[in-house]
Amino acid sequence: MITAVQFRNFKALRSAALRLEPFNLFIGPSGSGKTSFIQALLKLRSLAGLSATPAKELEGQKPQGPQIDFHFAPPLEQVRVTLACTSDDLVCNALAVDHPPGAVGEGQWAEVRQQLRGIRAFLFDHYAMAVPAKRSDSAELASNAANLAAVLAERRARDPEAMAHLAAGFCRILPEFSGLDFRDTGDGRVELLAQLTDGGEALAAEDLSQGTLYLLAILCLAHDPHPPGLICIEEADRGVHPRLLREVRDAFYRLSHPLPGDRAPVQVIATTHSPYLLDLFREHPEEIVMANKQGNAATFERLSDRADLLELMKDTNLGDLWYTGILGGVPGE
Amino acid sequence: MKIALLSESPADEAALRVLVEYVLREPFTQVAPALRARGWPSVEQVLPSVLRHLHFNTDADGLVVVVDSDDSVVHTAEHEAPGYFHPGCRICRLRGVFRRTIKNLPRAHGRDRVLRAVGLCVPAIEAWLLCGRDTSITESAWVEGQASGRPPYSRRELKWRVYGTERPTLSHEMKRAVQEVSRHRGDLRRLENDFPQGFGSLARDLRGWRTALQAGGAPRSTS
Ligand SMILES: [Zn+2]
Repeated sequence: MITAVQFRNFKALRSAALRLEPFNLFIGPSGSGKTSFIQALLKLRSLAGLSATPAKELEGQKPQGPQIDFHFAPPLEQVRVTLACTSDDLVCNALAVDHPPGAVGEGQWAEVRQQLRGIRAFLFDHYAMAVPAKRSDSAELASNAANLAAVLAERRARDPEAMAHLAAGFCRILPEFSGLDFRDTGDGRVELLAQLTDGGEALAAEDLSQGTLYLLAILCLAHDPHPPGLICIEEADRGVHPRLLREVRDAFYRLSHPLPGDRAPVQVIATTHSPYLLDLFREHPEEIVMANKQGNAATFERLSDRADLLELMKDTNLGDLWYTGILGGVPGE
Repeated sequence: MKIALLSESPADEAALRVLVEYVLREPFTQVAPALRARGWPSVEQVLPSVLRHLHFNTDADGLVVVVDSDDSVVHTAEHEAPGYFHPGCRICRLRGVFRRTIKNLPRAHGRDRVLRAVGLCVPAIEAWLLCGRDTSITESAWVEGQASGRPPYSRRELKWRVYGTERPTLSHEMKRAVQEVSRHRGDLRRLENDFPQGFGSLARDLRGWRTALQAGGAPRSTS
């Protein structure tokens, strides 16, 4: 798990620090650094697949160039990874690593590297999800979830119990449906079907609403028996009815706070513009990150670091507090 | 009886359905659709509209409203004095909204007004759910803790005790809520004893409904 990140001159994140929890919900206007942070994580993943530079070799680089430092949870807290620019490029394309000497340190870096390669980011696309998916494209959910049907069909074949849990959860949340099914479309592709409770008819993915498809994608991740180690989900509330956002939160918590003995926790980074979703974190303000933009510079602030938060929350919902602007994380006018 | 329930979550509502039936000692019909508020203060803000809707657009006999006290002032016997109103007490405030809203409504669906039942979970519904399991969890323990500045337990701890996690899923919350309130098997003496204002007020309001309905249309509220 990544526990802290420090940014220097990375896009709008000129000088920003961020502590991370197992679950993190980012709120803030466009250009406030939310997407830049996710891009940095994806860069980190791709560079983790290549060979790293020892940290001391970064010392000669231009002193004010973009740089992002990552810290990790124990027992890997002595490994520090830095994304940096080695040339005049504005893109961070070098990965420097600092770890304890010897085989132990090498082993720790190998473990961190493994975790970093498990970073995944999602921005669901319901148009892509509505089209039948190639059956062979079933290894893991694509970033736009276009292969949802193939992933779920494969899961039903390999792990029917996990798929049954997912389907039961889906039908409980949306009682108009009584089950999920799949149909071969004949060209090596598979189509997702949702059985209607009344009438016995089944709706194909192209006839399902945007919100229904997004919810299915979120459940696909939450019920994955072997999920990625870190998941970023942009616009987590998109298409979901405000009353069902609690189910979205539950799905994220299922990933980040699994039951004891279940599986390793998945670190979750989600973004939202929904005050209704924010309302659901009243008891966990440490999980909310306000992304603020002042001029061209962006910074991050944990909601729990606001000393007056409890007083502010006494007579106002979090979502309403956010809207007023007193928490920050609002567009400039 | 036709009853509407307004609470903060589907889990609270599931527990309330059982408790209301226990108090009334008979099954009731819940007025659809399920009403929901986004916690305090949204309950207070939406209540006038909910009452007008129920009065004019449904044949509901009464509305049950239950909210969490969180850290607010807990209703006491002194608040029951005629004309008394504590601005920091959520029961007093909700009763005030009922009173102001229904005052000038014309008769509709053969009744003067929708009957009122207001309850306050001190500090949260999980305290009610633990009633009878943990004798240290009572309204007076919470009120004393507020006075001394040392709360006897936190909402997070109560959640832990009921759900085994601070982050229960909604379906787990609903299941546990119904399990725990059903434990009372219709005998609410313990709950009324340990939560005399928050739950007691709700039970007393509900018990008054039968008389009000038998009198043919509800009398005006005096409190
Ligand atoms: Zn009062």
